[in-house]
Amino acid sequence: MTSSTTAGLSAVDFEKFREFFYKRTGIQFTESKRYFVDKRIETCIKQAGFPGFNAWFSALRLSDRSGLLQDLINQLTVNETYFLREDYQFDSLLKTVLPDVLAARGGAGRMTGPVKILSLPCSTGEEPYSIALRLLEEWDQIDHVDVEIHGADIDSAVLDKAAHASYGERSLQRVPMSWRAKYFAPVGAGRYQLDAGIRGAVTLHQINVCDTTSMRAFRDFDVIFCRNVLIYFDELSSRRAAENLYGAMRPGGYLFLGHSESMSRISPIFTPSRLPEGIVYQRPSGGPR
Amino acid sequence: MGLVRREQQPAEAKAAPSVETLLRQLDDPDPDCRREAALGLDGVAEAVPHLLARVGPETASTVRDALLTTLAAHDTTEVAEALAIHLASDEADLRTSVAEALSTMPGSVPAIIPRLIDDPDHDVRVMTAMVLADLAHPGSLTWLADMIRQDPHPNVVTAAVDALLPSLGPEHTELLRDAVRRFPDDPFLRFTVEAAVG
Repeated sequence: MTSSTTAGLSAVDFEKFREFFYKRTGIQFTESKRYFVDKRIETCIKQAGFPGFNAWFSALRLSDRSGLLQDLINQLTVNETYFLREDYQFDSLLKTVLPDVLAARGGAGRMTGPVKILSLPCSTGEEPYSIALRLLEEWDQIDHVDVEIHGADIDSAVLDKAAHASYGERSLQRVPMSWRAKYFAPVGAGRYQLDAGIRGAVTLHQINVCDTTSMRAFRDFDVIFCRNVLIYFDELSSRRAAENLYGAMRPGGYLFLGHSESMSRISPIFTPSRLPEGIVYQRPSGGPR
Repeated sequence: MGLVRREQQPAEAKAAPSVETLLRQLDDPDPDCRREAALGLDGVAEAVPHLLARVGPETASTVRDALLTTLAAHDTTEVAEALAIHLASDEADLRTSVAEALSTMPGSVPAIIPRLIDDPDHDVRVMTAMVLADLAHPGSLTWLADMIRQDPHPNVVTAAVDALLPSLGPEHTELLRDAVRRFPDDPFLRFTVEAAVG
């Protein structure tokens, strides 16, 4: 392999790239991800019209073409998901977490401000829209409480797709047919678009969970779903992400991680709670420990 | 009632406070304000001495964790040395938090491990085993094996065995059995080794 063709990256190039990408995003790629990374960098180089890695990497670092970095992020972040994925956590949201949130905030009708739920990363929208569907179809308090749902992701391309909310069979395989008939309309080529009312009710944001400054815009969330992303970070970036999530939550708020993730390996700032449907993490509701 | 859209976009990231403001806020009476300041000083080299000075006296663990998160990103020997002092603290939470932070500093901590392994305070050596348990460095297992083989204190050896357990291989069996033979009167070490290698 040579260092400046699109046939692959040299070990030195990979190391330079890896350090750069880590500093900008907090995402760490190990040697075992070389094939995955090489292929996607190759795509970026070709799409941007550079003759090889060196010219592209130089422009990435030094030029004002911010689109280069965003294209790279879009290529290197994993976005595959589907509706109602790991939905035992949505069961937990409806049966245990939301009733507790309402009780802690004085009960439906006496609350100040809406219940706020954040899906981060939201990828192409399946997760925040799944939450919306479950609330509309199965939560008996939805007519008595205002609920704000937000989705956020580092990848601008998936956010565009989330805003359009058009999905194929694979994404929709777990959606009951009755829900599909009620909330989705066929738009051709085997794809279905989500009802505009639900699309419009979910607010989408581009954000990097490791970026403390931009995460300051998020405050007072009652529930955050942050599933299957911290596993991509090294220890230090995970800690910072955890701190930023903590800052985005209301005291007593709940944090859901992916089933293979554990906050106890990342940071002690959250309190784990064992619910009937699994583990969830809470920002302590008292004063600072 | 029902699903509602936020009327306006959440404030775009508020302009970050200046470094001077953040440094001042490190002394704010409100722990949330101190915590935000500590996190906001990420990447600010001139803030490092100020952050280091507050690790010990800080009483709110959320603030201390934020201080350590920001400090650990400055993966330099100076920061590692300054943090390692707290491994000898009488305060268990502080010792543990610092050990966790040091284990995320693979660039600088290896340089101070030999000194920590030889520290006269066996409690510091116990905490060093905790650091090595999570330190992503090719020498971690060798250092732990050295501690198991050579350390004169059973608590240190037990801590090192505990740290080695997730990476335990057949090549470690005799090392662990030797450790039990060195401390025949330590039931906890015996139990730990027997549970691991039978």
